[in-house]
Amino acid sequence: MNAQTHRVAGHRLPRRDGVGKVTGKHVYAADFKLPGMLYGKILRSARAHALIKNIDVSRAAAIAGVRGIITAADIPQVRYGTAVRDTTVFATDRVLFMGHAVAAVAATSSEIAERAIEAIKVEYQDLPALYDPEEALTSDIRIHPDWETYKALPIISRKDNIAGQARIHVGDVETAFAKAHKIYEHRFTTSLQHPGYTEPRVATADWDANGIVTVWCNTQLPFDTQTTLAEILDLPAARVRVTVPGIGGGFGGKLRIGVEHFAALLARKTARPVKVMSTSEEELTAALPRQASIVLLKTAVDKEGHLLARSGRVIVDCGAYAGSGPGTAAIALQVMAGPYKTGALAFESIAVYTNKVHSGSFRAPAGPMANFAMESQIDMIAKDLGLDPLEMRLRNVVKEGDPGPSGETHTSVSIEECLRKAADAIGWHDRNPEPGRGKGIACSWWMTTGGSSGVYVKINPDGSATLVSGAVEIGTGAITGAAQVLAEELSLDLTDINVTGVDTQAAPFDYGAQGSRTTFSVGNACLAAAKELRRQMFELAAKQLEAPIENMKLQDKHVVAGNKSISIAELARISRLAGGGLIAHGTAISPAPPYDPARVKNHPLPVWNTPSYHAHAVDLSVDQATGKVTINRYVVAQDVGYAINPTYIEGQIEGGVAQGIGQALSEEIVYQDGRVMNANLTDYKMPTAMDVPEIESIIVECRSAAGPYGAKGVGEPPCIEPPAAIGNAIAAATGCWPNSLPMTAEKIAAAMRARHP
Amino acid sequence: MSFDLHRPASVTEAIDLAQRFAPTARYVAGGTDTVIQINRKKIDPVHLIDVACLPGMSEITETADAFTLGALTRYRAIETHPAFRVNLRALQEAASVVGGHQVRNIATIGGNIVNASPAADFVPPLLALDASVDMAGPNGQRSSPLLNFIVGPGKTALLPAEIVTNIRFAKLPARSATAFLKEGRRRAMEISVVCVAACLTLEASTSRCASVRLAIGAASPKAFRPEQAESYLLGQSASKENFAEAGRLAAEASSPISDVRASAGYRRALVAVMVERALETCLQRIREQDQ
Repeated sequence: MNAQTHRVAGHRLPRRDGVGKVTGKHVYAADFKLPGMLYGKILRSARAHALIKNIDVSRAAAIAGVRGIITAADIPQVRYGTAVRDTTVFATDRVLFMGHAVAAVAATSSEIAERAIEAIKVEYQDLPALYDPEEALTSDIRIHPDWETYKALPIISRKDNIAGQARIHVGDVETAFAKAHKIYEHRFTTSLQHPGYTEPRVATADWDANGIVTVWCNTQLPFDTQTTLAEILDLPAARVRVTVPGIGGGFGGKLRIGVEHFAALLARKTARPVKVMSTSEEELTAALPRQASIVLLKTAVDKEGHLLARSGRVIVDCGAYAGSGPGTAAIALQVMAGPYKTGALAFESIAVYTNKVHSGSFRAPAGPMANFAMESQIDMIAKDLGLDPLEMRLRNVVKEGDPGPSGETHTSVSIEECLRKAADAIGWHDRNPEPGRGKGIACSWWMTTGGSSGVYVKINPDGSATLVSGAVEIGTGAITGAAQVLAEELSLDLTDINVTGVDTQAAPFDYGAQGSRTTFSVGNACLAAAKELRRQMFELAAKQLEAPIENMKLQDKHVVAGNKSISIAELARISRLAGGGLIAHGTAISPAPPYDPARVKNHPLPVWNTPSYHAHAVDLSVDQATGKVTINRYVVAQDVGYAINPTYIEGQIEGGVAQGIGQALSEEIVYQDGRVMNANLTDYKMPTAMDVPEIESIIVECRSAAGPYGAKGVGEPPCIEPPAAIGNAIAAATGCWPNSLPMTAEKIAAAMRARHP
Repeated sequence: MSFDLHRPASVTEAIDLAQRFAPTARYVAGGTDTVIQINRKKIDPVHLIDVACLPGMSEITETADAFTLGALTRYRAIETHPAFRVNLRALQEAASVVGGHQVRNIATIGGNIVNASPAADFVPPLLALDASVDMAGPNGQRSSPLLNFIVGPGKTALLPAEIVTNIRFAKLPARSATAFLKEGRRRAMEISVVCVAACLTLEASTSRCASVRLAIGAASPKAFRPEQAESYLLGQSASKENFAEAGRLAAEASSPISDVRASAGYRRALVAVMVERALETCLQRIREQDQ
């Protein structure tokens, strides 16, 4: 693939963190322990919406082994949050959902802490609650009566139960609809989905003699967690140190503060180290799942199936706090526009509060929801017009230089190549090989999130290099990818790169392991650091070799100038004695591309950086009597720009598809009257190895201008298309279009019965 | 979770311990149900009596006319036992879909029966084989048909301190076959939405049904035998139409609930389809034996 041009980048090399993880030596945050450590547990509301009349902790405090109890009354009154500062550590005067934190206990064992939690008496007075996001739009009930007093990002437009509302408006929609050959209108719904990381959210906190709190946790964003903790604890950020020993998966569910604040507050209260770890039940009732959504989509086409205009509304159910909802809902608008040319667009997103768990930024937030609606409808239109769904897509996809929804320019476009490759691989010419069997296709585009990265790189006297980054290795191999870039640029082997753990006190800032950006952005920072190190080494070598810098190059761990050379190790030793060592600070930032602000209103992510393009195709069978889906084959063609490590890209594709299959067919947090009915891993149905077929990955490389060697973001896209591709294949197999996720066997059977009563 | 763990060396010692610590004692074998129930605060035993290592209780014994399964037999042992590969396939089919590999290596069939979940996967095939349960207790040994042993959801006929020792069933006559089917949202680590076992025997030289036993799980408060469906088929030809009618009768006899896993209506529809398919599978297996 890229093995011809590069020695290290582009090669299938083993991960730097691989051996530790497969041998069980790697220390995850959940493994972390300190001497004298207490265990913290959280009392969570059993009411969906109620006034707190009284909290009596006296019985709990009297239990032997209980070292500290805190409620809202014991801590600084701070509201925090990313888009809207609406969140508190504990419920104050009201609980807003079942699972809302009311109090926390630290005790000498987790059993004692749990008993103490049960001994706390809370008197509630129930309030009318809102569970339906559409009802919340019109109801007089206010989940946040004081919403106007909350601070929020200036871009966010709020009102009553609406936590954020964004728009994209392009062209003359009304005229386009008036001229249309046909207009199609559909409604789709998607469910609340847990990110499904293996390691629950966990944090251990300890305060030192200088009043600095250190938190060992498994956050994806150590610097964001540091900032939020500083706000909650009412401290300067410098007195909060966040470090991530290891993280057992995150998928966007560990972006925002989870249990770190409870650990830090309990540790401050008890003057002992305190560890807090979520239970499975807490994960399913009080973590940060993917929002449920309702998508209404109206599309106008001409006779040939060209998209003339689209209007649509995405309603994202944020739950009790805005969380990532406003941004997620807004991103849906770009996803709904899709990698398609459409003359006119009028899209609106609404993020709305309900009395349910607050939600987060699960991998490709809004991607699968909006794509499910958009790509299902494309197939519905194609069927109605008598067009092949692939052909319908090919007639509409964007080409190099076409404008995107925000008025930006699509560059390094590969959507047609992805569609054709996925279709060829699945055998598109034969869409219904037998009764009850069908093939489906879906495509999308997705951003590579910007944000800055800084790295320190130090050359050691043995010629190896140490990479200090503020980005955590979330499990994707992303940091190995960045290390491959660094090794390539320094003429080192990958095994010469030592990667340190993340510690906010020592590491340079990084925007974090999110948004498909880690290898991309940290890799760019490594390019910059390597450039600076080459400058330092060449200057030093010039003196040693008495040769001009202009002719120097790095080759095989040496600086070479004509027939003279000196090893990098030797230069590092010389520099240690005479110059303080070879060390560089590399930074990277990807500026947003130019766009037309008139098109995009109240949108926190108005334009996408370095988008990638991809297509999924699936071949599946549906049991005609039970509705059960069996996936026979699954193919992904994804444009990654440049494959820095094809093995880890395939890993990302396979994992993302597995999560997408879960969202498509089996996963949902089920609420009934405000209560989660399946708050355990028996009844929350993540797919098992038996449910996921072998995923066939086709890596497409259409190089970007911004990424290292032309790379684009990789991590999020694979979970975007599965619901739509699977839904379209189910429709091909059964003639029925499921319009609600998950598409369970029961729903499919009901749809088939409705069609053939 | 905290309890005292006892490790008796014999069944007698186990029964003594259970009597001594009653009513706060509980037997534990594989623990795959018990530990979850403790974690979810459904039970809170002070004493756990670990019977997993009791000698001689995990054997599969074959005699001329019957099989005896020790109560501590692990699913893995059933899955791989050569004697169940022909006309007792239902046992292997059920054993191979309980939990996942880790569960099947440790969970015991006795535990599955005593747990008395309406959705227990291993109960329907044993009901279809008309199995009996041997018990030992303070008043000695006794035995009961499995059908009567399970009384309701989570309830059995076990008396205080009694322990299941064996499960027995007779070998099947010639021209017999069994089949087990399970439906759920995923293919492993799954609680059955419905599970069905069938045991069919054809007359010596015709295609008429000489014996039919059907058993259905997760579609009523306890796994049950749809007697009308069974008797409908007796003496009838083993045809697709008759199997479909048996399925319809079985669905009629079921009394499923709606819960987070499925609606009652879907469960009932599954019963009809799965009974028909299980019978068809049995028929196909008998034809394979005939050849």
